[in-house]
Amino acid sequence: MATTVSLPLPAAHTSHKYESGLWSWLATTDHKRIGQLYLYTSLFWFLVGGIEAGIIRMQLYGPNGHVVTAQTYNELFTMHGTTMIFLVIMPLSAAFFNYLIPLQIGARDVAFPRLNAFSYWVFLFGGLFINSSWFFHAAPNAGWFGYAPLTTRPYSPGLNIDFWVIGLQILGISSLAAGFNFITTIINMRAPGMHFMRMPIFSWMAFITQFLIILAFPIITVALTLLMLDRFFGTNFYEVSAGADPLLWQHLFWLFGHPEVYILILPAFGVVSEVLPVFSRKPLFGYPVMVYSGILIAFLGFGVWAHHMFAVGMGPIADSFFSITTMLIAIPTGVKIFNWLGTMWGGSLRFTTAMKFSIGLVALFTIGGISGVMHSSPPSDLQQTDSYFIVAHFHYVLFGGSMMGLFSGLYFYYPKITGRLMSEKIGSWHFWFTAIGMNLTFFPMHFLGLDGMPRRISSYDAGQGWEQNNHLASYGALLIVIGTIFFAYNWFSSMKSGKVAGNDPWGGATLEWTIPSPPPDYNFAVIPKVTSRYPLWDRKSPRLSSDVPHGSEPEGLAEIALAGQKVGSVQVPSDTKLNAADAHPTASALGIMMPTPTIRPFLAALSLGSVFIGLIMHKNLPIMLVAAACFVLSLYGWLLTPLEPEHH
Amino acid sequence: MTRALRMRWLTPALALLLAASLSACNNFTPNTIFGAHSEFGHSVDLLTRKLLYLGIVVFILVETLLMVILVKFRDKDGNREAKQIHGNATLEIGWTLVPAVILAFIAVPTIKTIFETQAKAMPNALQVEVIGHQWWWEFRYPQYGVVTANELYLPVGRTANFALTTKDVLHSFWIPQLNGKRDLISNHTNYIWFTPDSAFAWNGFCAEYCGTSHANMRFKVFTVSPADFEAWAAHQKTNAIGSTPPAPAVAAADSAKAGGAAVTTAASAKGTTTVGNGAAPPPPVVTPVMNVSDTASSTYPRAKLPEWVIPKTPTPAALTFDASAEGDAARGGALFKTAPCIACHTIRGVPTAQGILAPNLTHVGSRTTIAGGLYPNDMKHLELWIKNAPAMKPGSLMPLFGKAEKGDTPGVYTDQQIADLAAYLSSLK
Repeated sequence: MATTVSLPLPAAHTSHKYESGLWSWLATTDHKRIGQLYLYTSLFWFLVGGIEAGIIRMQLYGPNGHVVTAQTYNELFTMHGTTMIFLVIMPLSAAFFNYLIPLQIGARDVAFPRLNAFSYWVFLFGGLFINSSWFFHAAPNAGWFGYAPLTTRPYSPGLNIDFWVIGLQILGISSLAAGFNFITTIINMRAPGMHFMRMPIFSWMAFITQFLIILAFPIITVALTLLMLDRFFGTNFYEVSAGADPLLWQHLFWLFGHPEVYILILPAFGVVSEVLPVFSRKPLFGYPVMVYSGILIAFLGFGVWAHHMFAVGMGPIADSFFSITTMLIAIPTGVKIFNWLGTMWGGSLRFTTAMKFSIGLVALFTIGGISGVMHSSPPSDLQQTDSYFIVAHFHYVLFGGSMMGLFSGLYFYYPKITGRLMSEKIGSWHFWFTAIGMNLTFFPMHFLGLDGMPRRISSYDAGQGWEQNNHLASYGALLIVIGTIFFAYNWFSSMKSGKVAGNDPWGGATLEWTIPSPPPDYNFAVIPKVTSRYPLWDRKSPRLSSDVPHGSEPEGLAEIALAGQKVGSVQVPSDTKLNAADAHPTASALGIMMPTPTIRPFLAALSLGSVFIGLIMHKNLPIMLVAAACFVLSLYGWLLTPLEPEHH
Repeated sequence: MTRALRMRWLTPALALLLAASLSACNNFTPNTIFGAHSEFGHSVDLLTRKLLYLGIVVFILVETLLMVILVKFRDKDGNREAKQIHGNATLEIGWTLVPAVILAFIAVPTIKTIFETQAKAMPNALQVEVIGHQWWWEFRYPQYGVVTANELYLPVGRTANFALTTKDVLHSFWIPQLNGKRDLISNHTNYIWFTPDSAFAWNGFCAEYCGTSHANMRFKVFTVSPADFEAWAAHQKTNAIGSTPPAPAVAAADSAKAGGAAVTTAASAKGTTTVGNGAAPPPPVVTPVMNVSDTASSTYPRAKLPEWVIPKTPTPAALTFDASAEGDAARGGALFKTAPCIACHTIRGVPTAQGILAPNLTHVGSRTTIAGGLYPNDMKHLELWIKNAPAMKPGSLMPLFGKAEKGDTPGVYTDQQIADLAAYLSSLK
C-alpha cells in the first residue's frame, strides 16, 4: 500500500501556541474554524431576525395593532429584511462555503486563509455595527431596499440610515473578499483528477455564487457610496431638490438586488443537489444540466433587475424586455426542479431530517417559482407588486427555498462538523413545525395581497377582509418559533449526547466523507486522486456511481498544479485508508505545512470597522485617521508575517 | 418517526391548510384585485387569471409528481435497490422546451396588455393630477379648477387620466378594484388611465413605502354618474366660504341645482345593500348611487357609504377632549384667519389662508374622512386631530395645537378654541 507523499513542501512545525481558548478563535486561519464562526454568528442573527419577525406578526395579528409604534415597526421590518438577507442567509451560505469547499475539492485550506479570517471579522463587525443602532434608538427604517429620496438627509435626518448605509458597505467588503478567495480556491486547489465536470455540485453552485457576488456587490457598493457622499458630504446624486433622478438608486440597487436573490438561493440549491442523491442512493440526475442551468440562472440574473420596477413607469418597451427575460429565467429554474424529481425517481429514498428539508425546498420553492412567473407579467404585476402577494412569494423563495436548503445542509453536515449526529426524532419535529408553520404563515399572505393589502404597513384598518388571514399568518409564525426551539435544543444536546458519526454516516459520495469527523486541521493526510464525480461511491459502493462517467487516468503519480503551474507531484495511494485513519497524526508529524494563526486579520478588520465608526460619529476625523493608520499597520504586519511558522 | 405517527401529523396539517384556503374563500374582501371595475382592471384581471390558473395546474402537476415519487420510491424496509440512471437527454430537453412553450402562451398576451394599458389616454379624458405628500394625497382637476385631498371623485364611463407627481419621497397610487399601481417618482411625471365602469365607493392605498405613516396614507374613491360628477365639481369649484364665515349653504344648494343631476336612488340603494353583506366582490352598479338631494354639497351620501370605506381607527387612549366644549363656527372662522393653520392650509375665500404644504381645506367639511383616510370626518375626530395630530397619526407633519399636550412643539389652544375651529371646518361643506 503506497502511502508515500512527495509534496515539495518544507517540513514545518505547526505552532502549538494557538490551539485552544479564545485566542485560538481570534487568530485562526483554519477554514473549518472560520466556517464555524460564520455558522454560529449567522444562527445568532437568525434568532434576532426571527424575533423581529415575531414582533411584526404580533403587530399585524389584528387590525390597528399597537404592540409597537409605527416608527418601531418600520425599523423592525427594515432590520428583519436586512438581517435575514445580509446577516443570515448569506453568511450561513458562507459558513458552508468555508467549511465545505476545501473538503469537497480535496484541499487543505482556502487559497488565502488570512483573507478568509479577515472576511469573517469584517462580517462580524458589520453585523454588530448595523445592529448597534438599536441601542441608539436609531435602527434603519427605510426598508432593506432603501429607496431614494427617502434615504437622503432631508427625509431621514437621523442616524438610522447612516447605520444602514455604512453597515452594508462593511458587509460588502466582507462578501467581496470572500468571493475572490473562493474563486481562487476552486480554480486552483482542486484535487488531482477533479476537473470541473467532476466537482461536487455544491462546490459548483458556490463557485457560481462567488461570481455573482464579485459582479453584483461592486454595484451596490457604488450605489451606497453615492448615498454616503450625499449624506455625509453634501453631494446631490439622489438629492431630488437639486434635480436628481431617484430612479438612479432603483436601477443600481436592483442591478445588485436581483443577482442577490440568486446569491441567496444557489447555495441552497447546491446543498439539496448533494443531499437528494445521497438519500436516494442515486447519482444526481443530469449533473451537466444542473451545472449549466446554474450558470444560466446566474447569467440571466443580471438581465432581469427592472422587473422589480414595473410600477415606476419605464414604458412599454422596457417593461416587455424585462418581462421576457424574467420568464426566460424560469426555464433553467424549472429544469432544476425536474432534475431533482428525476434524481429521486427510481431511487431508494431514506427520509432523514436532511432529506425532509431538501424535499421541503423542492415542494416549497416550486410555489415561490410559480408566483414569480405571475410577477413576470407587468400588467399582472402592477396588481401584485408591493402587496402581501410579493411578501408571500419571496418568503416561499427565501424561507421555503434558501432556509429549507440550508437547514437540510445543517442536518447533513452537522456530523462532519461536530463528529456526532443530530437526533432524527427531534429533527423531524423541527421539520414538521417549520414546514407547517411556514405554510401557515406565508400561504395566507397570497390571499392578503390579492385582497389588496399593501406591504410594509405598520397597521391596517378593521373591516378590510384581512383579519382572518393575518390571524393565520401569526399562528404560523408561532409554529416556526416552536420548530426553531426544537432545532436549538437538538443542536446543543446532540453535541454532547448525539450518536458518534464516524467518517461517513450517510453513505456519502464525495471527498468530505472520506475523512474523519471532525476533520483534522489539514483535512487530507494524503491529497486524494479523483476519477469520477463520486470518488467515495467508487470505493465503497461502486454500483451507485457505475452509471456516471469515469476517467481512465492511470493510478500513480498525479500532478499538483497551483495557478496553472506544476508545483509538484504526489504519489496517489490506492485507497484512502490513511485519510480514514482513526488515529489523527498531527500536521507536523505528516510534514504538512499549515497556515499560521495570526491575529492581524482580526486587527485589520477591527481598525477598518473603526474608520466607519469615526464616520458615523459626525465624521470624527481623529478617530478615522487613527483607525486608518491602524488598518495600514495591521495590513503591513499581515503581509510581512511569514506563512510558515518561525523556527524557535 | 413511524409511518403511523407521520400520518397522524400529516392529516391535521393538511386539514389546517385546507381550512386556511377555505377561510380565504369565505372571507369578504372589499379590496380584492379581482374586482375589475374598469377596462384596465378587466384586461389585467384576464391576464392575472390566466397566469393564476396556469400556475395552479403546474403546481398540482409538480407537487403530485413529487408526492408520487415520495410514496413510490420510499425505502420502506431498507433494502430497496435504486435504479441507477444519471440523466436522460430526451427528458431533459423535454422539460426545458415544454415550459418554454407555456411561457410563450403567457408572453404574447402579456406584451399585448402592456401596450394596451400603456397607450396614450384619449384626448377628451378627465385630467386628474395626483400629488403625493407625506402622508396624504392631493387631487387636482385642472379642467374644473378643483383642488381637493384624500377623496377622489370619478365619473363612470369617462376615462380618467392621472398625472402622478410627488412633492417629497416616492409613493404609489393604488385602488385595487380599479387599477394597478403606478409609482409617484420625484422629478418625474407618471401617467396611468382607466375608465371606471360602475358607481361605488372604493379604498385607495399608498403602495410604496414612504416613511413613518406609510400605512396611514390612504384615500377614498367615489365613482359617480357623470351628472353627479359635474355637480360635485361645480360645487367644489365654489368657495365654501365668503370672506365671512359661515355661508356655504346657499352656494351649495345653487350648485346642486346647476348640476341638475336629480337621479333615482332605488337601484343604487339596492346596489349598496346587496354588496354590504355579500361574499362576492361588488357587482357592477352602473346606476348612480349618489343622490344630490341627499346632500347640499353634492358629495357621496354618507348614509350610503359602504362599511369598509368608513375608517375605524381607534383614537389614542391618552388623548382626551373636554366634552362640554361646544364649537361655534363663527368664532372658529374668526380664529382661523390668523391661526397658524394658514401657514400650511388654503381655504379659498379666506384671503390669509394660502398655505400649500397641507391639504386644501376649502370644502373639508364635505369630505368623509380626515388625516389621509385614517379617521372619519366628524367633530370628535376633527377636534382630537387639531389638538394633537402627531399622536393621532405617527410622524404627522402637522404640529399639535392643544395646550398642555406634550410633543415637539408647545400647543396654543384650549379645547374650547379647538372646538370652535373644528365647528368652522365642519361647516365648510
